Amino acid sequence: MIFQRAFMAVWLVAGLVMLFIARDYQAPFSYEPVGPRAYPMLMFGLMSLGLAYLIIRPTPIGDGEDQKPLDASSLRKVVACCVILLGYALTFQPLGFPLSAFLTATLCGLLYGGRLMPCALVSLLLSISLYVLFDRVMEVPLPLGVLEFLEG
Amino acid sequence: METLNFLMQGFGVAMTPTNLIVALIGTLIGTVVGLLPGLGPINGIALLIPVAFALGLPPETSLILLAAVYLGCEYGGRISSILLNIPGEAATMMTCLDGYPLARQGMAGVALSLSAWSSFIGAFIATCGMVLFSPLLAKWAIAFGPAEYFALMALAILSLSGMAAEKPVKTLVAALFGLAIASVGIDANSGVYRFTFDNVHLADGIDFVILVLGLFSVSELLLLLEQTHHGQVAVKATGRMLFNVREARSVFMVNMRSSVSGFIIGVLPGAGATLASALAYTTEKRLAGADGKFGKGDLRGLAAPETAIGAAVCGNMIPMLTLGIPGSGTTAVMIGALTLYNITPGPLLFQNEPNLVWGLIASLFIANVMLLILNVPMVKMFTKILDVPNWSLAPAIAIITGIGVYAVHATTFDLVLMVCVGIFGYIMRKLDFPLSPLLLGFILGELMETSLRRALSISNGDVGILWQSGISQVIWIVCILMVALPFYRAWRKRRAPKPATV
Repeated sequence: MIFQRAFMAVWLVAGLVMLFIARDYQAPFSYEPVGPRAYPMLMFGLMSLGLAYLIIRPTPIGDGEDQKPLDASSLRKVVACCVILLGYALTFQPLGFPLSAFLTATLCGLLYGGRLMPCALVSLLLSISLYVLFDRVMEVPLPLGVLEFLEG
Repeated sequence: METLNFLMQGFGVAMTPTNLIVALIGTLIGTVVGLLPGLGPINGIALLIPVAFALGLPPETSLILLAAVYLGCEYGGRISSILLNIPGEAATMMTCLDGYPLARQGMAGVALSLSAWSSFIGAFIATCGMVLFSPLLAKWAIAFGPAEYFALMALAILSLSGMAAEKPVKTLVAALFGLAIASVGIDANSGVYRFTFDNVHLADGIDFVILVLGLFSVSELLLLLEQTHHGQVAVKATGRMLFNVREARSVFMVNMRSSVSGFIIGVLPGAGATLASALAYTTEKRLAGADGKFGKGDLRGLAAPETAIGAAVCGNMIPMLTLGIPGSGTTAVMIGALTLYNITPGPLLFQNEPNLVWGLIASLFIANVMLLILNVPMVKMFTKILDVPNWSLAPAIAIITGIGVYAVHATTFDLVLMVCVGIFGYIMRKLDFPLSPLLLGFILGELMETSLRRALSISNGDVGILWQSGISQVIWIVCILMVALPFYRAWRKRRAPKPATV
């Protein structure tokens, strides 16, 4: 419950900041009665009201599959997974898709409880076949990055 | 008669070899995506949009692909519900209740084929309903001005939270957040940069593919990390694979009733398949009374939710096609896909793009037949997919999601944004905030703002225009009812225990 309140409080502050920023949006020339600031201010305002209500009277979190409380080891895994995904996002262009995807998939597979060799093998197959499928067959251009010399 | 001609024209579009192959591929992908617990139609469709666009598929073909995936997901979700007791997809939760007991009793094959049959009937009846009602609704909707549209969108958002039984405020906050972040980027009317923080990548706004994949795929990956049901073994589908005539007849009335109720719920904004299946199940349970063995493997308890899901999925597409207003997360993504092609869904679609609309409707019939045929003999193959371990499934989802996002603008910024959105979505899910209202709000946001501003420009700033016409007054009254609904529920809940204790 504390975490829920804290999260909503951060969200509320962000909403209020947005509301504050939106106040300055004014069109230099305007032919219409409603300018560019009314709508975002209305929406962020209503959202902040709703959040404020929820902070005062939080709804109990349901007992669905998604809402199970986290234990320490799951939390560590979630954080690790976020780091891996961020790494994937940041290396996608510099390292190129095949290499970045191979590394990400291997690490990711290990995190989900796979063993090193099968993970690496599956990842190798995945990254190469997806590269060929998307870049060559379906013409979705993907970066080769450091492997660019192979293309020549 | 005119409708029939259009429908024939639609079949002409849907029967071209490309479109038939696309529909077949879509149903296969959909079934697999639906089968895998955690991955639903929203992920499947969002991943395919950039691919469809990159392949240069014409709009009607890619819409057929997406609709086939949507339909296929609901068929696939049922398989893991029946064999594993894990809903492959949120809507098929009710299918577990009687489907899994049936499978345990050695009736897995019968349960699978009968539920496929029920889905087929539901979807078939709903598609017929679509043929009958959507042209009428479209004709009527042409008279809608910006004020009516604004009211209608307010209704879509409010009914979403009115229907969300336990958490109306959370749903509303999520939807409002979606509506608000839709304003990021250059304002089309005045050229003002809003919430871009001088970042070039935000000038066009947040692309909806990034939002969808972050919210649904990335958060799903993080949720998969703590899944514990590894060792669960699927019930082997042995014995008789096909239901017999007697069994089909015993659920026929259930099929009819659930089709109608599922269709109506599907058309209503904000409700969708999950509610439809729950309602159909409880209705049938009540109607059966004491002679039902609901929860222990009653064929009626299996048929009711499946029929309703099939019907609701098709009903869902009516407001999308006729009004341009999505009623669910999945149709919101489909609208997003149409806007990539510069097609604005709405009443004019029926006049301007008859090939698209009728081709889609005709392909729903075709995809349905394909799914029915595929599902009976190929069930064994599909169940094999359930054996794929998480450690090879999760990396594949992660990588494909990355490709989907990269295909949009080819920037690192988008990829990082997707991961951030995903983490935010994960926390939201953990805290019991629903995600599809956020998506729905995001898709509606731009349209809602333009109609508000256009309406007020017409009236020269007088807010009264929003509730001047008869149509908009009716819509606002329904809105008020929707707002009152959670209060009424809370009031009844407080009153209910008293007579029970007396």
